[in-house]
Amino acid sequence: MRNLYLSLLKNKDHLIFLIAITLSLSLLLKNDSPDVLLIRGKFSDYFSFISSPFSWAKSMIQLQEETQYLRDINIQLTLEMEAMLMAQRENNDLRDLLGFKQNSNLQLLAARVVNMGSSSNLSSITLDVGSNHGVKVNQAVLVPEGVVGKTVVVGKTSTVVQIIKDGNYRLSVKILPSGNAGILQFITNDYCEVRELQKNSTISVGDKVVTSGFSRIYPENLPVGEVVEIADDRGSFQTIAKVLIKADLGSLLNVFIVLEEIDEAN
Amino acid sequence: MKLINTLLLATFVFFIQFFLVDLLSLKMIRPDFLVIYIFYISLVFGKAPGILIGFSLGLLSDLSGVGSLFGLAPLTLSVTAYLSGLLHGKYERILPYVFHSAWISIIASHFLLISYFRFQTIFLDDPIAFWMRWFMSFSYTMLFFLIVQFFYPVKEASHAEIT
Repeated sequence: MRNLYLSLLKNKDHLIFLIAITLSLSLLLKNDSPDVLLIRGKFSDYFSFISSPFSWAKSMIQLQEETQYLRDINIQLTLEMEAMLMAQRENNDLRDLLGFKQNSNLQLLAARVVNMGSSSNLSSITLDVGSNHGVKVNQAVLVPEGVVGKTVVVGKTSTVVQIIKDGNYRLSVKILPSGNAGILQFITNDYCEVRELQKNSTISVGDKVVTSGFSRIYPENLPVGEVVEIADDRGSFQTIAKVLIKADLGSLLNVFIVLEEIDEAN
Repeated sequence: MKLINTLLLATFVFFIQFFLVDLLSLKMIRPDFLVIYIFYISLVFGKAPGILIGFSLGLLSDLSGVGSLFGLAPLTLSVTAYLSGLLHGKYERILPYVFHSAWISIIASHFLLISYFRFQTIFLDDPIAFWMRWFMSFSYTMLFFLIVQFFYPVKEASHAEIT
């Protein structure tokens, strides 16, 4: 017994190292375990509370600039709205004539980004809303420019969002106008790749990339980005489209969570 | 007293990483102050304290927000602490250039481990982009490492306890 104790004491460095490695690996393998998600949710609440004064100060600094920008946009939008109202009236009349159902809308929840994590590579953001506001795991997160990510950990008053730049993030998309569907994954900087596209797909540079609607998380036709390059995957029947993400993920202040899809026709 | 100071400094470094890292972000590449701190702790106090603090700080870092791969930071910081601990008190026993090459390699391997886990798809699809990404994150943190080195050289840290 004494020998065992002495040998443990002698090799305590290696023992501690082994325990730390085992614990880390078990955490890595239990990423989706409910217990781990629960603990992460609790801590996410604490950390968002700690960082809220800093994010408030940061948003105040950018407020003046944003107000000026919004004023400009407001005038532009007022003019555009007039034209759109006319178009909508005409569209409704035509839909009635064709007997189509009306387009579904999204119920959005506005949220403020309180933290962008502390890891050396940005892969998540923390929002100031949580289950108390109706947020659940696996809900789409957007900005007006396009999809940003999905909710992965939900606390009572905070939510961790896995962003499109996380290496393990995948998104089912389609390319318009051709409608070819594929799987989008992050490559580097602001670029993503869409794979699983047929080689005979008619895709051109400048085509819009939107969500396909095949996934339960993302409603159909949410903007994602734009095709900037097309390449054939040698040795397979695939074409790969390089896509520029429109949303600027490095300077996110406010985002929207898609709580549910409302079908106005019902 | 030494323990309290170390823990206070660990808390300070964690909050620096938590609050300031966004301001220092360059094209989504951010400095890693935690690895600098863990490296010095292991060099000064040896493997065991380094691993314990590294694991705890890594866990806190992941709990403060990570999309996927929860547990990667404790893993990489523990490995870095263990390897850095091997250099504890070795400065006067090995050749200086071997010593310096060793600690630079340890920091490089820390970022290689993180990059490999995080960007496995890039590694398979475009190895050049992967190595570029690794090099950029490594060199950006090394820049801060050199600033810290200016005030507290690695040479001094290594034989801090044996003298």
